[in-house]
Amino acid sequence: MSTQNAPRRHDYGPDLRVALGPLGLDNPVMPASGCFGPELGSLFDLNRLGAMVTKTIFFGARSGNPAHRLAETPGGMLNSVGIPSRGVDAFVEQILPEYRRWQTPTIVSLGGLSVEEYWDLADRLRGVPGIAALELNVSCPNLEAGGIEMGASPAQVEAVVRGVVDRSTVPVISKLTPNVTSIAEIARASEAGGATAITAVNTLVGMAVDLDTRAPVIGNMVGGLSGPAIKPIALRMVWEVRKAVSIPVIGCGGIARACDALEFLVVGATVVQVGTATFTRPDAMLGVIDGIADYVRDRGLESIRDLIGTLRTDRGAAETAPELTLAASTGHPAQPAPSRSVQR
Amino acid sequence: MTPDISPADPALASDMVGSWTASSVRVRLACIPDIGRTEPTLEHAPVLEHVRVAADHVLTTLDAPTMASRAEPGQFAMLTVARGGEDSPVLPRPMALYDWDAATGRVDFLYRVFGDGTARMAAWPVGELMTAVGPLGRPFSLAETTASLLLLGRGIGICSLTALAARARARGVAVHAIVSARRPDAIVATDFLERIGATVWPVVDTDGSSDVERLRARLDAQLRDRAVDQVAVCGSERLLRLAAQVGRRLDARVEVSLEARMACGLGYCHGCSTGEKGLASEAPLVCKDGPVFLARAEAIGKAQ
Repeated sequence: MSTQNAPRRHDYGPDLRVALGPLGLDNPVMPASGCFGPELGSLFDLNRLGAMVTKTIFFGARSGNPAHRLAETPGGMLNSVGIPSRGVDAFVEQILPEYRRWQTPTIVSLGGLSVEEYWDLADRLRGVPGIAALELNVSCPNLEAGGIEMGASPAQVEAVVRGVVDRSTVPVISKLTPNVTSIAEIARASEAGGATAITAVNTLVGMAVDLDTRAPVIGNMVGGLSGPAIKPIALRMVWEVRKAVSIPVIGCGGIARACDALEFLVVGATVVQVGTATFTRPDAMLGVIDGIADYVRDRGLESIRDLIGTLRTDRGAAETAPELTLAASTGHPAQPAPSRSVQR
Repeated sequence: MTPDISPADPALASDMVGSWTASSVRVRLACIPDIGRTEPTLEHAPVLEHVRVAADHVLTTLDAPTMASRAEPGQFAMLTVARGGEDSPVLPRPMALYDWDAATGRVDFLYRVFGDGTARMAAWPVGELMTAVGPLGRPFSLAETTASLLLLGRGIGICSLTALAARARARGVAVHAIVSARRPDAIVATDFLERIGATVWPVVDTDGSSDVERLRARLDAQLRDRAVDQVAVCGSERLLRLAAQVGRRLDARVEVSLEARMACGLGYCHGCSTGEKGLASEAPLVCKDGPVFLARAEAIGKAQ
């Protein structure tokens, strides 16, 4: 397993290395689960990514949800794919070897319809080579059971995390749903269960109606909203999680460009995940990485780590309005705000 | 309605019940062997030209040399319709490769301007780069023994069949193309098909000539003595049913190109599954296991 001192796979110029507990990453950019696959390796060099994250796997085979599974919405999209999976054995034998064509650490996303299914997956994957960490998807809005319901219960999230941590030798990441009253509470439960890091957030439950047929556009009636439309919500939730726990946070939700990623780092994310933007432009993650490197170089930072959690709330702005203070609070008032100066 | 798909790939085992039971014929689709697929590439391709070819239809040409060098008939590309400074619309548009030239790197897309994505494509500044991924999907097959090919395209669906027609004509295969549309001003691709030497039958709703039963009678009369070895169809379930029945009668191989909403085009997002609810495992994906599938008509009751 790589560490912060391990040789880097790609020279970005500035020091972009970050760590999730014992897992060192070349840079803080990885895909969001479900928005990535080894198929992308034919379009760009996957060794340039901080990590790779698999689509969520279940213990057994699942067919997923009926069509339509996708709908475009203003600034985003709804999906209700429902996590088709060929099951853990097919994953280990056929899919995971595909990922091992690259040196980039592979994070395996686990799903379950019950607390025990996550534990069974952890048992099955224990000692399987080529897995750098596990991400527990306790937040999918598109399942017939489990998923979001489990993810809204602090007790169940803690039980899932603790059981997987007990059964695993690699870092365990808990991926949270935004569809809760208090994400801080779920984050604390994850930390109490022994999670190495927290990913925030999964998609927001949404809906769209076809006015010709008056039927829901999505076959499963509702779906998860993702894309730039949700970024302000995701950013606020990452900030709330950051204040609630002391373990690293992985920010996710609407990140398309370096300036989006930098906002998440400023509010306290150590790593960011890029999801929907990879659909828009398959090489979006490379633009995010290059833009982060440019920012670190242009602002004269020692490393990207110097930016993480540096949100300034001391300019008289209320703590409840962090976004309003972000542009002016990066510590470089003479420079243009990052949202305008950092290009992808 | 979702077509009835029985996968050839055991990894995609599925036992779907026929969903077109309204007719006396059930069409079953199967994955074709994954042999013709070429490696896709991502190109930042300059838009070279837009040509308005019909009332609502535009032909857009990209300079995408790698795609042009690898393309096969029936494959498609994912075109990003968000411009350089924009992050939405978030989904790229799947577009059939209408025609291309490996020597010059030109790739043509013919589409109906219908909605935000296609309006953006048609208005894309000439010279500006567009993110294009392709070629994608499994292409049509064209057997060495095929001497006569029948095409049935409805609306913009004909644009998935033009490259196959060109490939067939280059091999000396006789090509008959039924080009169906709502109105005469929505008929496209007939000039292309005539130029390569295909026999073209344009039919439209406005004079009733596109009626499937009339088409069936016409095909029965004209194809009685003239064997068709292969049939390719796109854009209409009714035409697919007709194609499958004609194929069954003439013992011809029938392939269909399906359309679907897609996000990735490569197979990792699983957004375009053809599946129904309650299957044991996932049904084929249009982007990766298609978009071209083998179609077979099966009689229900007293059908032919």
